[in-house]
Amino acid sequence: MAHALRDKAAISGIGETAYTRGTAKSGLALQLEASLKAIEDAGLSPRDIDGVVPYFPGGGIAEDFIANLGLPDLTLSLFVPMGGATCVAAIQSAAMAVATGVCKNVLISVGRTGYSGARVSTRLQQFPQFALAAEFEAPIGMFAPAQLYAQGARRHMELYGTTPRHMAEVAVTTRRHAILNGNVVMNKPLTVEEHHASRMISDPFRLFDCSLESDGGAAIIVSAADRARDLRKPLVTVMGVAEGHPESPASIAQRPDLLDFGLVKAAQRGYAMAGVGPKDIDVAEVYDCFTFTVIRQLEILGFCKEGEGGPFVMEGRIGLGGALPINTHGGLLSQGHVVGLNHVIELTRQLRREAGKAQVEDAEVGLVTGYGDMGDGSLAILRRAA
Amino acid sequence: MSTVAIAPAPERPMPVPTRDSQPYWDGLREGKLMLQHCASCGKVRHYPRPVCPHCLSMESEFKAAPLTGKLHTWTVCHHPFNFFFKAEAPYIVALVDMDAGVRINAPLRGITEDALKIGLPLWLQFEPVSKEVTLPLFVAG
Repeated sequence: MAHALRDKAAISGIGETAYTRGTAKSGLALQLEASLKAIEDAGLSPRDIDGVVPYFPGGGIAEDFIANLGLPDLTLSLFVPMGGATCVAAIQSAAMAVATGVCKNVLISVGRTGYSGARVSTRLQQFPQFALAAEFEAPIGMFAPAQLYAQGARRHMELYGTTPRHMAEVAVTTRRHAILNGNVVMNKPLTVEEHHASRMISDPFRLFDCSLESDGGAAIIVSAADRARDLRKPLVTVMGVAEGHPESPASIAQRPDLLDFGLVKAAQRGYAMAGVGPKDIDVAEVYDCFTFTVIRQLEILGFCKEGEGGPFVMEGRIGLGGALPINTHGGLLSQGHVVGLNHVIELTRQLRREAGKAQVEDAEVGLVTGYGDMGDGSLAILRRAA
Repeated sequence: MSTVAIAPAPERPMPVPTRDSQPYWDGLREGKLMLQHCASCGKVRHYPRPVCPHCLSMESEFKAAPLTGKLHTWTVCHHPFNFFFKAEAPYIVALVDMDAGVRINAPLRGITEDALKIGLPLWLQFEPVSKEVTLPLFVAG
């Protein structure tokens, strides 16, 4: 029997600001600017929005959306505090809301001044999810995700022979895609040599293995699929969506297997709900806080075997024209860091065939992941409706 | 919302012990690795928390654990995300499988990067950083 939520929700609107390093705007202003664009893109008006899932902590809350956009009757206000897994996991919450009739149109949004405002290690102090890291790891010199996730990457290298060359391939391919997009922070080509020469941040992560600290906003609208059919843009439905929480969710250090991401559980559920497998995926937007995180997620997603993510990304396989084009917009590594909502936007564009020079030919079914906090995971499988 | 960059404090970030974790921190100050054990099923858990996830007992006791363990993985921190660590960078942080059955993350001193491998035997030592707080650190045999 088909899953109760399968194809019941649609991504009906998408919006994003310019991605920059440097802005005079507040995070809230960026979030609202992107929200207005998403509402316009869907052919809706703010009065049609009756649910909000703002990224939290940081940015606007329901009160801000009512006060700024004049939402007349909000029926649902939710937070999904899963760090980088938030935006894709929020699609599951929004899908439940529109499928049950609690909401008609749910706005998921992010506004971030990651460059001009508080930087990563300062910003994370306000996350309850980082409380254990703050007590036990910050005092010994570990707190930023680049440090906390580096130990998992090192373990993968030691166990499976994954190399900096593999990680560089993710960075270089993603940059090539970013240049095709236009609205990106990093618009100059990157070579493998430049990757290897970039400064070490937390071994094995060099500068170009790390996602950007940038300013920008992004938003999407999730609507009931039967209603979205009448909206402006080609219908893109949510075939499958799931979130997953790993064992020892607030401490990577204490997790029996450091490489056991929440995506292990989410992928299983997401594929089952969608009724498709890795072979059916035409394009994948994979959460790329770090190059290694992409490599490991490709294994978890079943595109290759355990430990073979490194060799898998080579030989053009993940580039446009390859067997599995990934991060066709430039991702968090080269486009901008809006906690992966840009990945959902790009996948929607691909399936609408609005992706311009980065368009994957005949893209019918695509996948987008989130990865956040100490390894929370989320997955959505979207399709272009017939 | 502020658009002004906030510089991280140059002081070492210090632990703020909770009612659950206080015995662990007291132990380090006294030169012991005190780990929480379930008073009902006996299983060890770290970091300290109120309920045993195996048997749901809320009774626990802290016992001194051996200071030996083996390297599980590591990183070498070059970029000081907190300015306090600028003078120390680059520094190795070792994640160690303690023989007591939990992991401890702490700086590893007295060894070079190229000598690191999974399974390397390491010893926990104690570094007082204030009157109240002592932090763990590792040394190689």
